[in-house]
Parts: sequence; C-alpha cells; structure tokens
Amino acid sequence: MMFVLRMAVRETRASLRRLFFFFICIAVGVAAIVALRSVIQSVRGVFGSEAKSLIAADVLISTNREWTPDARATIDRRLADAGMAERTETIETPTMVRPADRAKVVAKMTELRAVQPRFPLYGSIELQGSQTYSPALLAGHGVLVRPELLTAIDVAVGDQIVIGQAAFTIRGVIVREPGRGMGEFSLGPRVIIAYGDLPSTGLLGFGSRARRAMLVKMPEERVEPLVKLLREDFKDDFINTRSFRSTEDQVGRDFDRAENYLSLVGLIIVILGGIAVSSVTRVFILQKIRSIAVLKCLGARSGQIIAVYILQVMTLGLAGSLLGVAMARGVLASIPWMLGSSTSILAQAHYGVSWSASIQGIAIGVLVSLLFSVVPLLHVRFIKPSLLLRDESVRRARDWAGMAVIAVVSLALVALTAWQAASFKVGIVVCLGFAGLAVVLHLAGRALVALIAPMANSRSFPLRHAVLHLSRPGNQTRVILLAVGLGAFFIVGVRSLQASLLDEFSLQVAANAPDMFLLDIQKGQADGVRAFLGDPAHGAGDYQLIPVLRARVVGVAGSETNLEGADEVRQKGASIGREFTITYRDHLEQNERVIQGAFWNSPAADAEVSVEKMIADRARLHVGDTMRFDVLGRIISARVTSIRDVEWRESRNGGFVFVFRPGVLDQAPQTFVTPLKGPEGLAARARFQHDLVERFPNVSIIDFHEVLDTIRDVMSKVTLAITVVGGLVLFSGGLILIGAVAMTKFQRVYEAAVFKTLGANTRTIARMLLLEYGVLGSLAGLIGSLGAIGLTWGVSRYALEIPWRLFAGEHIGGVLLTALLVAVIGVVSSLDVLRNKPLATLRAE
Amino acid sequence: MIELRDVSKTVMSGSEPLTILHPLSIQIPHGEFVAIVGPSGSGKSTLLGLIAGLDAPSSGSVLIDDVDITKLGEDELAKLRGEKVGFVFQFFHLIPSLTAYENVAVPMEIAGVADARPRAERLLEEVGLTGRAHHYPSQLSGGEQQRVALARALANNPKIVLADEPTGNLDTANGRHIMDLLRTIHAGRGTTLVLVTHDAELAAMADARLVLRDGRVVESTLPLHPPVAATPTTASMADARVRPHEAS
Repeated sequence: MMFVLRMAVRETRASLRRLFFFFICIAVGVAAIVALRSVIQSVRGVFGSEAKSLIAADVLISTNREWTPDARATIDRRLADAGMAERTETIETPTMVRPADRAKVVAKMTELRAVQPRFPLYGSIELQGSQTYSPALLAGHGVLVRPELLTAIDVAVGDQIVIGQAAFTIRGVIVREPGRGMGEFSLGPRVIIAYGDLPSTGLLGFGSRARRAMLVKMPEERVEPLVKLLREDFKDDFINTRSFRSTEDQVGRDFDRAENYLSLVGLIIVILGGIAVSSVTRVFILQKIRSIAVLKCLGARSGQIIAVYILQVMTLGLAGSLLGVAMARGVLASIPWMLGSSTSILAQAHYGVSWSASIQGIAIGVLVSLLFSVVPLLHVRFIKPSLLLRDESVRRARDWAGMAVIAVVSLALVALTAWQAASFKVGIVVCLGFAGLAVVLHLAGRALVALIAPMANSRSFPLRHAVLHLSRPGNQTRVILLAVGLGAFFIVGVRSLQASLLDEFSLQVAANAPDMFLLDIQKGQADGVRAFLGDPAHGAGDYQLIPVLRARVVGVAGSETNLEGADEVRQKGASIGREFTITYRDHLEQNERVIQGAFWNSPAADAEVSVEKMIADRARLHVGDTMRFDVLGRIISARVTSIRDVEWRESRNGGFVFVFRPGVLDQAPQTFVTPLKGPEGLAARARFQHDLVERFPNVSIIDFHEVLDTIRDVMSKVTLAITVVGGLVLFSGGLILIGAVAMTKFQRVYEAAVFKTLGANTRTIARMLLLEYGVLGSLAGLIGSLGAIGLTWGVSRYALEIPWRLFAGEHIGGVLLTALLVAVIGVVSSLDVLRNKPLATLRAE
Repeated sequence: MIELRDVSKTVMSGSEPLTILHPLSIQIPHGEFVAIVGPSGSGKSTLLGLIAGLDAPSSGSVLIDDVDITKLGEDELAKLRGEKVGFVFQFFHLIPSLTAYENVAVPMEIAGVADARPRAERLLEEVGLTGRAHHYPSQLSGGEQQRVALARALANNPKIVLADEPTGNLDTANGRHIMDLLRTIHAGRGTTLVLVTHDAELAAMADARLVLRDGRVVESTLPLHPPVAATPTTASMADARVRPHEAS
C-alpha cells in the first residue's frame, strides 16, 4: 500500500504539467455544476421563505367573470365554516395608461391591479427610496407604478396619469409586490390603484378582461380541506381555487427541474473532460510502457500498478474538482456585483456555494475521472516485462474482464447522469443521446479524415505531412474533433436557430401585414373606431373589426366523442377543456381552407360551427357532431358542419378554433378586436395610440413591434445563455487541444528534429503545424456546422413548425473561426517544437 | 540453484514459427558467476528473460530453488522477481519520473520493506553516488545511471543478479567500473551472477561460460543435458571457480 501511495505521489509530481489541462476541463464542468446548483438553491431559498407571499394569501379564489351572488354566498359560507381570519379582494385588468399632460402624446399597455386596504395579507409592497407602503398612498386617486412606466410615458412621481376615464396621481414606484411571479409573461408594467377607485375608470364594462380575486388568510391546517370543497363547489363554473401550498409545490417542482436539467449541462462538460481524461490516459500508458515493464520486472503486480495510476487520476480529479468549486465561488461572489441595483427578486437572494452542491460537484469530478480512466488503465495488464529485453508489440487477447469493466463503467455513467437529472429515464436518454452524438461526431470525424486522405499525396510538403499527422499513431484527432466539434455545434446551432426565429418574426411584421391589435372595443364603440381608423389623418392601414365572444364547451354528442357537462369536458375533452374566444362570419379568411364538410355563406337561425382541424383531430370531432357551448351563461347547441385547416403562421385575421355561422350570435353581448396596419414611425405610432385611447379609454392596444422587441430581448438572453454554455464546451475543447499537444509533443519535437536534420527550415515546420491544426479546426468546425444544420432543421420543422432556412453566414463564420482558433492554439502551444535545436533532441533519443 | 530443463522458445515471425532458443538444459549452482556469450540474435537475452520469468518458455521448465516458475502466474512471478532476482539492463531502464534514490527504493517499497530509505542510501553510497541521490535519470551520465540500476538490482538483497549487457552502452572506463562493482558484489555477497555479453574479455572473468549461436549452445563449462556435441569443453567446474580469483 505504501508503494502505491508513494508511487502515485511521485507520478503525479512528474506528470502534473502534462495532465493539468485535462483536469482543468473537469474543473470547468464541476464549476458549472456547483455554480448552477448553488444559484438555483439560493434563489429557491428566497421563494421558500416567502411561500405565502407567492400568492399573497393562504388561499386564492379567482375568476375572470363577475362574482355572482350565488358564488359569493357559497364562498362566504365555506370561509365562515373554515374559520377564515381575514380576506381581501383585488381586480386585475390589462389597460392603456397615458400621461394627463396632453403635450405628451404616448400611451402604454399596463397591467392594472386594484387592491383593497388589507392587501397584501402576506409579504409587503416594497417601494423605491425609503417610502413604505400604506393604503393611504392610494387614497383619493393615488397610483403606484413600476419604474419602466415612468420612462415609457415620460412621467415622474407627482405627475398625473389617465387610466380609462379617470386621472390618478403617481405617489410611489413599485420595487416588488407579493403575488407577482418571476418571469411571468406580462403585457406591460404593473400599476396599482385603490379598489374603490376602479369603477371611476369605466374599465369594468362588458367584455373587459378583468380578473377578480379573493385572498384569504386562515388557519393552515384547514387550507387544504377548504380548497377541496371550493373546487368541488365550482367545478362547473369559471372559478379557480388554489392554496399557497399548491403554488409552493409547483414552484418547488419548477426549481427542481431547473436545477436538475441545468446541472446536466455541467455534467456534459465534465463528461467531455472525462473523454479527454480517457484519451490522455491511453496515451499516458503508451508513454509509460517501459516504466511499467520495469516496475513489473522489479516485482510489482499489475493490480498495484493500476492502483498507482487510478490513485493518481483520482488525485488530479479531486484537485480539478476543488478548483472547480473555487471557480464557482468566484462566479457566485460576482453575482451581486453583476445584478447591481436590480430590483428583481434575484437580487434578494444570498449567493453562496452550498455544501450539497460542492459535494455533488466534487463527487462527480472524481467519479468521472475514475470511470473514464479505468478502461485505458486495464491495458497495464497486457504489458510484459520481457519487452525490456526484446522490442515487441503488446498483444491483446479477447479481454472479457475488460469488457465487463466497460459494461460496469457504462452503467455507472448512466447512474451518475440519472442521479444528476433526478430521473432514471432522463439519465438513460441523456447518456444514449450523448453516446449517439459522440458516435455521430466520431463517424463524421473519421469520414472527414478519410475524405481529406488523398491530400496526403499533395505536392505541398507541409500539407502532405499535416494530413498524415492527423492519423499518426497515438493521435488525439478524434477527441479534439469531438470536444471542439461539440462546442462549435452548440454555438453555431443556437445562433442559426436564433437567426431563424427572428427572421420568422420579422417576416410576420413585414410589409402590409397587420402590426397592431386593438382589443376590448365595445359594441357601441364599433362605429366610432371604424370612423377613427378610416380617417387618413390617423395613418392606419387596412383594418377589420372582428366580433368576439368567450365561450366554453360544455358538451359533445358525436360519432366518436360524447361528453356531458363542463366537468367531463375539462377532464376528458383532450384540448377543448379551456375557454375559447369565438367569432362568427360568413366567409373564409385567406389562411383557411375547408377540408371536410361545407362552409356557409349566409346567416341561418340554427347554430352551426366550423372547427379547426388540429383541435378536431385531438378531440375526435367530426362533421355532424353536436357541440354545446356556454356563451356568457347561455347554452348554445351547434352542429359541426365543417372542419377547417388554418395556416396559423398567417393567422392575424383568422386565428379562431371555433367559427360560428352568423345568425345566432349576432345579438349576443360581444366585443370587437381589430388587427390593423399601424402608422409608420415611432412617433406616429405613439400618437396614434394616444389619440385612440383618449377617445376610447377602455380599448387596449398591442403593438407587435414592441412584442417583437420583447421577444428579441428574451431570445438574445436565451441565446447568450446557450452561447455561454457552448463557449464553455469550446473552452474545454481548447484545453483538451492544448493538453493533447503537450501530450504528444515529445513525438513532434523528435520529428521536427529529424525534419530539420533533413533540411526543413523552421518556416516549413511552422507551416506544417499551422496546416495540421488548421485542417483539424476546419474539420471540427465542419462537424459542428453539420450538426447545427441537423439541429436547426429538426427543431424548425418539428418543434417550432417554421420553415427551415440555411444561414450560410453563421455556418461559414463558425467553421472559419473554429479553424482559426484551433490553428492558433495548436501552433502557440507547439512553439518550443519550432525552437528546439535538432542535435540535442536526437542525442536525447 | 537455477535449473533449466529442456527449455526452448519459439516465436511467430509473421506467419512463420521461428525458434530463437533450441531445447536446452543447464544447472547454475548458487553463488556461480556465469557468462552467456554469443553474437547478436543468438538467444542470449531470451535465455536471461526465461531465467527471470520475464518470458514463458515454449516448452520445458525453469526451476529456481526447486520451484518451477513456469507454473506461476504473472503476479507470483512478479513477487518472486521482487524477492530473489535483481536485474541490470543494457539501457539502464530507470524510471525517468523518479530520482536516483526513488529508483533504488522502489523494489523495497513494492516488497513492503519498512526501512527502505537508509538501505537505499547505503546502496547508493556503495555504488559511489551519495551526492547524486536526488537527481533524475536525465540529469545523470550513462555510467551513473547504470550504477543506480545496479544499486536498484541489489535493493532486496537478491540471491540472483541477472545482467544483460550491462556495459554495452557505456564507454570503457565506465564499463570497467560497472564490472568491478558487479564482481565485488558477487564475491562479497555470494550472489549468483548471470552476465550476458558479447565481450570476450568480460566473459573471461566468469566462473563458467555458455556460448550460444543461432539459439543453440555451442560451448559450455556448465553441466549440460544433453551434452553439447563436438564442444571443446575444457575446464571443469572446479577450474572455472578458480579463474576469477586468478584474474583479480
């Protein structure tokens, strides 16, 4: 045992420099795992400690209709039974806000929340500066706003803004408010007013999209029974009940998932490091053959020698992992500095490396080093001491023990991945996926190396030898192609995907397509809006007022599907359980095509409905079926008379799942939406919105250019995140490359010495190196690029359902940059090959 | 005692079998200094490798102190080498990543000897390298490296020292120094010394001589079975033992 320990220490000391880079790869991967896990655990801590403020109550009962007296009575009774301690109500609605100062011609979509004095029951509304929230701030038409609104419509605290038909004075700026989730999609910044002031805005008219909520504080142990009872009471109504605990569970699950999936990214980097370790161990053992034979000659057993090297690898793996934890600490320490004075909930967390994350990271680093080095180390068993007397190649018989070890190592890797992803299935899928990707990259690498093999007959001496070097014995071509190719694949792939998506969105906002959307136009306002839009002074392009109603399917009597009641529809009705926005018209839109049955062209007294194909397929609806709809409390039975195929990509005018035949719904209460081509130019668009809202205060306007900006912003963040991951992988690839060069340098130094003796000058040898690494880099880039083409094609076609486009620029740039990167790293880390004097080298041999 | 019974070695040269050592039986008594002589490719090193259990014979058996080592597994062979056999190679074969001292200590550490350090230092002192203990092989001259190898071969006080052309890679002065050391060791410790060489002058120092050509024994002063046909066997064992003393 002492021998094993001492030898391990000595060997580590001797090979530290050569093996260093490979364990940096392990360090980078471990750092990624530890940092990601710790960050998520820290953020989760914030949420965990404020579970109740996630919904600002113990129980939240909400609806997007008005509370009916029956519903209120039921709730009152249930709450009294459950021993409710306190309750408060809020109403949320999206609406336009504009400055009271008429000189400022802007308007902005916001999310208004009207609150009663007791709000919030848990947590608190935090305001900018040293201001503390009290309901008095809202009294007499006071309003609290998010900082974004101040800049968007150029107002300040103390100024007045107009919401609907009423003016409000800005009394404070919201930093944080309970009950507002992180990363939730929102139509605009939050605005808070007093509950009592809401009616004065006139926003609660028919068809408004207000969401009413009752927040309840009550003894914890009675929460779940109450939620159960209320859900049962309102199973056929548009009323939802949830508790802080179900929210916490949901958030907890989201965090678990995020933590586990993100740490897989780190694991992939570690595994890449592992592959490098495996490859380097193979070369290392080849270089150590004589020393191993000597040790055997001196009486060491194979087991002892393998133990020496395993101990060495684990020591380096441990060192790399500890370095990784230190790197993670550094990254985490810089987070508060990066967030600066951000008001996001992220800034609230205390970032530090958690023990559990560190231990996991270290365990993974050491385990991966071990698993990946065991198989090449088994080669030690076949090294015979007799090779010291006679040069002989090491012969290998069929090695059952070796195969058994490979099987055990593979299983251990699956187990490791499953542990990280906290799912056996994900573990298997990721391992198979990674193995598949590695095999594909490997095969692609071999194919490309074979493809350029004829260049070995080139007339150019440097090129000839550069190509030959790629397949020299003990070459690291495959592992470099894998690591660098994978990095290039990530980066080029995600960048093309981003370009593809942005292109798609930009196309949609192009030319004469509608780029603004008006919502909530009341029936009585329809003519006024038409007149406003028709007035050339306002600069609007084509427009169309579409009547819309909200409806829910409450029954189906069909040839395949039979559902009775809203509850059954919700539970068994595949995709028809939700609430739909419906319309009626006598014509098909350009993006629609009837594929079954016939579309009407005139009104009729009996209700008929046309169903969109995808929904019809999923819910197994057919022409001739009868569907029952609840339209604002009125039940309408409609016969399905056609199935339509809708081209959703051009759905601005006709994106409806259910279209009714005119005649039945015409007189029902309804509102209108209007897709239109807005005026050109920022100022004109702002004025247009301002003027429209001034005349019709309850009308909301969605500007697609703003939405596109938001999407662009979100996508660039996602792209940045994936690019960072790809960058890390590429960085590891670079390290592996440096390590591989260092590992095989002895061979190069010798060859260079021979070439120099035979008359090659330093420039020729430099050209040779440059070409070798340039070719290697181009191959890696090409592999990454081909992979990226496959990825974008698959994702575009099957996940995003957008047409696939090739962004040649991204690919060419990717290949060239990878080639350049590899060439520079390769040549720079080989500089001493050029500098060495041939005689000294040859004498040493 | 070392005993070889009908030992032969055949290897595959391409697809053709090639016999590099024809069946041979010899006995080397304990404490003997034997020189194996012959031109390149005559099978000298192969024979040495078979005696050390570095290689397995194609037929026959090799006995060391009445233990048939051809029946031992790799690990048992390694143990036997560690305890009973010391090796000196033409190309030194020091472990480049270890210092001189560490190279000498390794066999003792493998064998689990508790006080390796003082013994390794004493051995280095014996070969005259006290001041070079912490140098790496690359920092030592050829002669110094071979002296380290010699010290290493003696680490576990083996009964047998096998030397494969130990002076073949050294200049005359260094070669003489190494031979002097080997002879001192042989005489002082009573170690069996088997020396492979094609230097007649070195061979002349041995108690007994075995001359090989093309894998066959052509001359021997050792008890052979079967006897070598038409071999000018001149000296008896007793005569052979006297020689080194005369030479020195």
